[in-house]
Amino acid sequence: MIRKTLVAAAALAAMAGSAFAASAWTGGDDLPTNPLACDGTPGAAVAKPYDGGEPTGAPDRKGKKITVVDVPKLIGIGYFNATSKGIADAAMELGNVEAKTDGPTQANIDQQITFIDNYITSGVDGILFAANDPVAIAPVLKKALSKGINVVGYDANSQPDARQWFVNQAEFNGIAKALIDNMAKEIGEESAFAIVTSTFTTPNQARWIAEMAAYAEKCHPKMKWLETVEAQEDNVLSFNQATTLINKYGDELKGIFGMTSVATPASAEAVTQASKCGTIAVVGLATPNAMKPYVEKDCVKSVVLWNPVDLGYAAMHVLRAVADGDLKAGATSVKAGKLGELQVINGSEILLGAPFVFSKENIGQFDF
Amino acid sequence: MSDIALPRRRPSYFSRLFEAYGQEIVVLTAIVVLFIVVGLVNPRFLSNTNLTSIFSGNAYIAVAAIGMAMVIISGHIDVSVGSLIGVLATIAGTLAVSGYPIWVAWTVPVLVGIAINTCLGALIAYMRIPSIVATLGMLSILKGGLISATGGTWITGMPPQFFIAQARLFGVPAPVYFMAILTIIVALWMRYSATGRSLYAVGGNAEAARATGLNPERTCVLAFALHGFFAGIAALLFATQLQVIQSTVPPNLELTVITAAVIGGVSILGGTGTVIGSTLAAVLFACIGSALIFLSVSAYWLRAVLGLLILATVLADMARRRRSLVR
Repeated sequence: MIRKTLVAAAALAAMAGSAFAASAWTGGDDLPTNPLACDGTPGAAVAKPYDGGEPTGAPDRKGKKITVVDVPKLIGIGYFNATSKGIADAAMELGNVEAKTDGPTQANIDQQITFIDNYITSGVDGILFAANDPVAIAPVLKKALSKGINVVGYDANSQPDARQWFVNQAEFNGIAKALIDNMAKEIGEESAFAIVTSTFTTPNQARWIAEMAAYAEKCHPKMKWLETVEAQEDNVLSFNQATTLINKYGDELKGIFGMTSVATPASAEAVTQASKCGTIAVVGLATPNAMKPYVEKDCVKSVVLWNPVDLGYAAMHVLRAVADGDLKAGATSVKAGKLGELQVINGSEILLGAPFVFSKENIGQFDF
Repeated sequence: MSDIALPRRRPSYFSRLFEAYGQEIVVLTAIVVLFIVVGLVNPRFLSNTNLTSIFSGNAYIAVAAIGMAMVIISGHIDVSVGSLIGVLATIAGTLAVSGYPIWVAWTVPVLVGIAINTCLGALIAYMRIPSIVATLGMLSILKGGLISATGGTWITGMPPQFFIAQARLFGVPAPVYFMAILTIIVALWMRYSATGRSLYAVGGNAEAARATGLNPERTCVLAFALHGFFAGIAALLFATQLQVIQSTVPPNLELTVITAAVIGGVSILGGTGTVIGSTLAAVLFACIGSALIFLSVSAYWLRAVLGLLILATVLADMARRRRSLVR
C-alpha cells in the first residue's frame, strides 16, 4: 500500500510540475482591457447612443418643487444610510426637492417592487433606486415611466430601457488605476507585490485584475507581480493564503492587494500577526468598518472604494437635471453640484468619478 | 510420527504496528515527504513562521475532526458541524462585544454546542432517524437561522483578551496546544477506557454490542455530546483567530472535517480509526495548502488532491478489510 501511495504522490507531483509554467499574471479574464491614462485624465468615453427610457407625458417640472422617493436595495445598513444622506444633502442644497428614503429591511426584490408600486400610486415626481435584480425590477420601473415619473438608478443598475439614467459608482479601469497607483505610491516603482482574490473566475475580480495588469504594464512597468492566490470569500482561508505568501517570499514581498471585502481585512490581519506592518503594504477593496482597526494602527494606508455619500448626492442632482430637462439623450456630461461636471458613459450612465480612497484622515466619518 | 509443528512466524514489530496504525503511518509519511520535497524547492517552507502557520492554521479543523472521528467510529455521521461552528463562533463573538466577561464568551458556545448535539444524538438514537438525515436537517436549521439572525453582518471590536487563538506559550500558538493535548487525551481514552472502547464496539456491530450488555443508544448520544464539545472548542479557535467574525457558515467546513477523519483512517462504515489519524490528516491538509502556494500551483488543486486522497484511503481500507477476511 505504501508503494501505491508513493505512486499516487509521484503522479501528483508530476501534475504539480506541469502547473508550474503558469504565469504570475493569473486571475484576470481575457476580455479586452482599457487602461486609463497614467495621469488623472479621464478615459475617453466610447460614443454610444442613448439607450435609457423616456417618461411619457411628463409635465414641465423645470424649477418647480418636486417630490422624490429613494428606494435602495434595503434600508437600515450603513452603506445605504450613507447614500441616503447624500440624497438628503443634495435635496437640501437644491432647495426645490422634497426627498425621502424608504424601502425593504431585507435585500428582497419582491418587497422592493411593492414599495416602488405603492409610491407610483401615491404620486411622486421622481424615483431613485438601487436594484436588487436588474431584470425583475424592470416592469415596475417602466410603469413609473409610463406615468410620467422621472426614474434614475444608482449603485445597482436595471435594464437600461427601464430607467432614464444610471449613476455608475466606478468603472473597472478606474478601480484598477486607483489600486495600482496607491500601491506604487506606498512600496515604490521597483517593488514586488502579490494578490489575494476570491477565485480566478469571479467576474468582477477577474475584470479588475485584467485591468490592473494592463494599467501596471502601461504606467508602472517595473513593479513585479509575484503571484495571485485564491481564497474564495472565506475569512480564514484568506488569512492563511496571505500568511503563506508572506512566508514564501520573505523580504521580497512588499505589498498585498486584497480584491474582495473579505480578502483585504484578512490580508491586513495576516500582515499584523506576522509583525510586518510598515514593511508590507496592504491595498485593497473593502468597506471602511472592516478596515478601521488596521487603518487606525497605521498598518493599512489606502482602502479603495467609492464614496456612497457622493453617490447618493450625484444621483439626486442627476434626477433634478432630468426633471428640469437639462439632461437629455445625447448629453456628454452633467453638472452635479460640488462634484462638478460628471461624464456620461455607455450611452445612459453617469460616472461618479475616480474611486474614493479611505485613509486615516477620513475613515472615521464613514459607518458601513 | 513426530509432532513438530512448523513454527508460526511471529509478525515483526513493524508489521504489527503497521497493522494497527496503517493509515496514520501513511499520513505521517506524506507529511514528512511534503516537508522534504517542498523544503528542497524552497527552504523558506521549513522556516519557523511557516511551520507555525501550518500547525496552527488548521488546528480548529483537527479539533472538530476529533469529535467527527468519534461520531463516525460509533457508526454515524454529522454533516452539520460546519454550520454549528459558524453559529457557535457568532455566539462567542456576540457575547464578547456585548460586554459579558470573557470566560462567559468562551464557555457558553461550548455548552450550547454540547446541548444542540446532545439533542441531535437523542433524535438519532431514540427516534431512529438516520444520522445523515437528522444532521442534514440540522445543517439547514443552523445555516438559515444564522443568516436570519445576523443578516450577515460581521462582528468586530471584540476585547483583546478574547483572542485566545492568538495567544502564544513558549513561542507556540495556543491552537497547537489545544490540538495536541485534546488529541492525546482522546486517543488514550478511546484506547484504554471501557466507555471509549464501547464507541468502537457499537460502531462495529451495534446488535453484537447490545448482546454484550452495551447500550448503543446511550453510546450514540454520548458520541454526539462529545462531538458538540469539540465543535465548541473548534468554534472558539475559529472565532478568535482573526479580528473579524464573518457570522456566516464557513464554506465546505463540514466536508473538510469529515475528510480529515476519513483520510486519517476512520472507516466511514464505523468501528475503526483513531483521532491521531484525523489530527495528522488535518495537519496534512494545511501542509498541502501551504505547499501549493510554495510550488505556485492553483489552490483548486487542493480540492483535487483531497479527492484523490479520499479515494486512495477508501481503497486501502477495503484492501485491509479483505485481507483480514481472507485470514
